[in-house]
Amino acid sequence: MKKALFLALLFLGGNLWAKPINENLEYAGYLKTEFWLKNYNDESHLSLSSFKNTFDLEVEYKLSENWTFFFHPRFFYDFAYGLREDFNSNFDRNQFKMGHTQRTEWLRDCYLDFTSDKLDIRIGKQQVVWGQADGLPFLDRVMPFDLTYYWLPDFADIRIPLWMIKVEYSPEINSTLQFLLIPDFEASRSAPANAPFSFKGVNSFHRVKKIMEANGGSMSTTIYRPPKEFKNSRVGLRWRSMIGELEYTLNWLYGYSTSAYTYLDQTIITGGPIPGLGMPKGNYYYSRRHKLMHLIGFSFNKSFVNPGLFEGWTLRGEFAYFHNEPAYYGTDGNRKRTERTDKYTYVLGFDKTFFTNWVFSLQFAQFIHDKKTFGGYQVLNSYTYGLLDKVENYLTLKVSTDFMHERLKPEVLIVYNDDNDGRISFKAKYELRDNLWFTLGYHHFWGPLRGSNGQFRNNDHLVLEAKYTF
Amino acid sequence: MRWLFIFAGCLLLNLGVFAEKLEYHKVYTPQEGMSAEEIMKIMYHNKYSLFARDYQQTGEVLYVDPSGFTRKRVWKRQRIVKAGQEGISYKDLVVMTYPTELKGLAVLTWTYEDPQKDQNVWLWIPSLKKVRKISASEDDDAFMGSDFTVEEVSTRRFEDESYKLIGSKNFPGYKFEHTGEVKFKDKPCFVVECTPLKPHWYYSKRIVWIDKDTGGNIFEEYYDKNGKLFKTLFREWVWTDLGDKKYPTQISLECKDLRTNHRTVILMKDTEYDQGLSEYDFTVKALMRSRW
Repeated sequence: MKKALFLALLFLGGNLWAKPINENLEYAGYLKTEFWLKNYNDESHLSLSSFKNTFDLEVEYKLSENWTFFFHPRFFYDFAYGLREDFNSNFDRNQFKMGHTQRTEWLRDCYLDFTSDKLDIRIGKQQVVWGQADGLPFLDRVMPFDLTYYWLPDFADIRIPLWMIKVEYSPEINSTLQFLLIPDFEASRSAPANAPFSFKGVNSFHRVKKIMEANGGSMSTTIYRPPKEFKNSRVGLRWRSMIGELEYTLNWLYGYSTSAYTYLDQTIITGGPIPGLGMPKGNYYYSRRHKLMHLIGFSFNKSFVNPGLFEGWTLRGEFAYFHNEPAYYGTDGNRKRTERTDKYTYVLGFDKTFFTNWVFSLQFAQFIHDKKTFGGYQVLNSYTYGLLDKVENYLTLKVSTDFMHERLKPEVLIVYNDDNDGRISFKAKYELRDNLWFTLGYHHFWGPLRGSNGQFRNNDHLVLEAKYTF
Repeated sequence: MRWLFIFAGCLLLNLGVFAEKLEYHKVYTPQEGMSAEEIMKIMYHNKYSLFARDYQQTGEVLYVDPSGFTRKRVWKRQRIVKAGQEGISYKDLVVMTYPTELKGLAVLTWTYEDPQKDQNVWLWIPSLKKVRKISASEDDDAFMGSDFTVEEVSTRRFEDESYKLIGSKNFPGYKFEHTGEVKFKDKPCFVVECTPLKPHWYYSKRIVWIDKDTGGNIFEEYYDKNGKLFKTLFREWVWTDLGDKKYPTQISLECKDLRTNHRTVILMKDTEYDQGLSEYDFTVKALMRSRW
């Protein structure tokens, strides 16, 4: 289906490409170098996590009044992985794939756009974004995520684009029905073991596997992706409209979860317990599977534009209900079962500008598991296998401003969980010239060892970035 | 004689309207004998292009620091005048096209007739590839980091100030630093003193020179609470001839901060009026079409 979409796109594009390339062609791009320096960790005080160089190009060609073709390749090479033998032996070969562009990831966007007053159609590789929250992907679950650098990069770079058809129909001026047909499938991914931002769950599995193999046992994992058949396409609907000045959406998504969940399929015990591991020697057969699930949700926003107590405030919110999405159950640090369950999430956001140009954005969110326990085991954090409460509470605060005629733009984001787990991400962007920008950032993590952020508590990072645009 | 009656009729109609609200889609110019309020109503009517049904233009902003170092922004703006339908005066869509780092950043703004109401604002953020409803900017915030404030460009209303007509004078001329040209020398103007109604505002008063020909505010002087001049703002107004009608149009602006010697120049070109823009282009769906 993905190939069919690509061919259809070429066919349509080819037919419409009947005019010479002229002022209808527009392009832009950048060259970017970024350094990620780990501030301190268990083994060294400072190490180079990433020395990434990126080339990005965006090309738009207006075929006619209603048709536009957009093409967006991106390539990167991370020299930190090339330097690893000489510079730091802690790099693991498993991480090598993080060092350069893999497979078709170079193609970020490639689509044909039809636009008209009432009907918009976008066919091709693209991103679709749902939700009103900043940095919390509750309703924003259409696209899979690349979490190799956790949730730290811009969200447009975290989302993995997919081949799909998006149709937007407006029966009236401010109301739109969006229909998504997504035959393409990509799994969300996380960093491999021992990478700068690999999850504790991944590292633990890797460590256990090494010990098991050293003692004559084995642990193998088979990955099952949904078969590439049209019937396995994901489908989505979103209705967006306004009631007065309240804007709302109703959302529904059905299909295979882009997150894979680990199952223990078979165990053949071949010996006694391995010292220090707590597991008997044996052959363990695991699988990673994607399950069918439903997402039902809604979102809203409203700016208070009339004089009064709330004048100048913007209220945002979203709610998502996940039906039949798997979750892990076990004891602290040990996954025992993977069971389907229902989950509920919501977030409320409050935004206002104070002191002329200081923008404050506060969010409160809850993540609720329908079943806290299953078979005597407690629900686990899927990143770390740490114990979760039935209701997890989150607070985020983002403050941003600008100085020097918007030449210097600092911002800080604080994410806090009620288990005293959180992070502070600071970023300051400086415009040297129109086409030359520098960014200095720092990510500080804290929290319990098996907290989502606490797992990186010895993993603070300084980020330096230089970007040349054209 | 017949023409005299028609002229007198038009004049009376023109004057009569000023007691209340100006009508959308009509061009007004200030006349001798008008009050400061009437003159300023016309100025705002022209400033926000409420005489047109829609317009679009390209704007180039130059930020010039005292050493002459210059940064640039380019945008494309489209406006549709809703003329009070559903309480909305006009809708704006501004899309950044330069520099690349900001390319694609787009702002959709709905401005209401009710002067007490803030604007409704949506922002397309390229780094998130999403639309975000945002709070309206503070009126005294710098407009896109320039020397202009937000209200000087887009939110100040007639109701925000009180007015006093100082008199009729010939404008002494303004040296437009961007080109070195002296503009509008000896142009007949009304001079109006405007005092903000908001307490502790960033200026205590401003002196505005209104061109008698176009009704445009060609020059403004801003005074701080100590009565010291701290900022000047020049706007070049011309007539755009559309054949059967002509519209007053701003083509260049220069704002100088006398405290820092920083200045901002805005050059507007490719202005087109009444092209029949569709209101569907001023929706969140249209904002989400952004590709950059």
